[in-house]
Amino acid sequence: MTDGEVIHINPRKRKRLLEKLGGNRVSFCYQCGACVGDCPSARFYKGFNPREIMLRALTGGVDLLTARESIIWKCSNCFNCYERCPQDVRPVEVIIALKNLAQEDDTQPDEVKATIETIKKTGRSAPVIDSLARKRESMGLPPLDTIDIAELKAILAPEEEDA
Amino acid sequence: MIKAAFFPGCLIPIKYPHMELAVRNTLPGVGVEIVDLPGFTCCPDPIYFQAGDKLDWLTMAARNLCIAEEAGTDIFTICSGCTSTLCEANHELQADEALRMRVNRRLARVGKEFKGVISVRHIVAFIRDVAGIDLVEKSVTKPLAGVRVALHYGCHLLKPSTIMKVDDPDDPAILHELIKAIGAEPVLHGERFLCCGKACVDENLPMEMTSTVLRSVKESQVDCMGMICPTCFSSFDTGQLVIARKTGEKLEVPPVYYFQLLGLAQGLTPKEVGLDRHRIKPKGMLEKLGVV
Repeated sequence: MTDGEVIHINPRKRKRLLEKLGGNRVSFCYQCGACVGDCPSARFYKGFNPREIMLRALTGGVDLLTARESIIWKCSNCFNCYERCPQDVRPVEVIIALKNLAQEDDTQPDEVKATIETIKKTGRSAPVIDSLARKRESMGLPPLDTIDIAELKAILAPEEEDA
Repeated sequence: MIKAAFFPGCLIPIKYPHMELAVRNTLPGVGVEIVDLPGFTCCPDPIYFQAGDKLDWLTMAARNLCIAEEAGTDIFTICSGCTSTLCEANHELQADEALRMRVNRRLARVGKEFKGVISVRHIVAFIRDVAGIDLVEKSVTKPLAGVRVALHYGCHLLKPSTIMKVDDPDDPAILHELIKAIGAEPVLHGERFLCCGKACVDENLPMEMTSTVLRSVKESQVDCMGMICPTCFSSFDTGQLVIARKTGEKLEVPPVYYFQLLGLAQGLTPKEVGLDRHRIKPKGMLEKLGVV
């Protein structure tokens, strides 16, 4: 955050964020900075600061955070901030909710998008190459289970379908 | 024998099947009978997939949990990522009725219902809490005497601690105990709590974290680095090649999955636990044990 920067309060975006979080836990952040001291991304990446991310989340001024190439993707998901926060704000979960907003805005990084697609399409996060079946057999391991893709597709279809 | 459903995940069965082999070969020795259930998908991935849509993530995890619920067995996982997804989803869906109903409406389309009646544990927690570490000690025929193992807990076995309930993340003991049980010496290096960095979407950040951990391990003069997560393993194994290519720094710290060490201690050969497949091989350790 640059000195003198004005964060624009955005109630609409704040509402979307709180819906993703399923509650207004983020309102309890009193900006103590306990999340920063033990954050590996803050340690190794100048400019990553979970306290600042929480400040933006408090106001709803998160447009910069849900934009393409946002700093939120530098989070290591280590959960240290979750452990340290005296207010149980769970900063990592706020960051995950911001990432969910980024998916709605279609601004997520390509590799994230690609992994999500692979999992939805194949049911697995890693590609299975042809030689794997032989390799597993030669090692005496059971064959990989087949995945019911139709079932997976059915449960991941949008909620409106149940209305 | 205690029966439990084996949740294999993706990374180990696909990329590191030798780790799966080590798990399958060592668990009977510690009193755990593996139950293979049909129908599991990716847990799914707690980082990228959860970053997309949390409800999709919970729904897919709940479907996996339902399979074990229907079979009436608890689940053990062999990857910290799977542990994170399944434990957190199990916890959230048990605790939050509104969320459970939303997810169950989706599961009803395929005739499933999440009830919240089973537990999920990483296999190391399952061994300690259900089977007992004494069984690990009893299964050892060739103690790894004199072998110094640097511990890397990784993040998701322990945190969030209120959900995982394994150990105090600032002072964990479980891997310490498991390493001692196989006759080796656990070594606490300075950066043992640092994340492997795999989840960061950045060109340099993961490497910064990985190399910081590896340098700390190297300073502690160990024979290998012991871990329980294939994602951490990949960061430290293939990661060292990336570090060498980008910076020229050769760290040569051999990362090893805990069940490979347990296998050696139970008398399996290095090949039987897949140590021949690693990029950075634990030559020093194998020489010490006289099994080269």
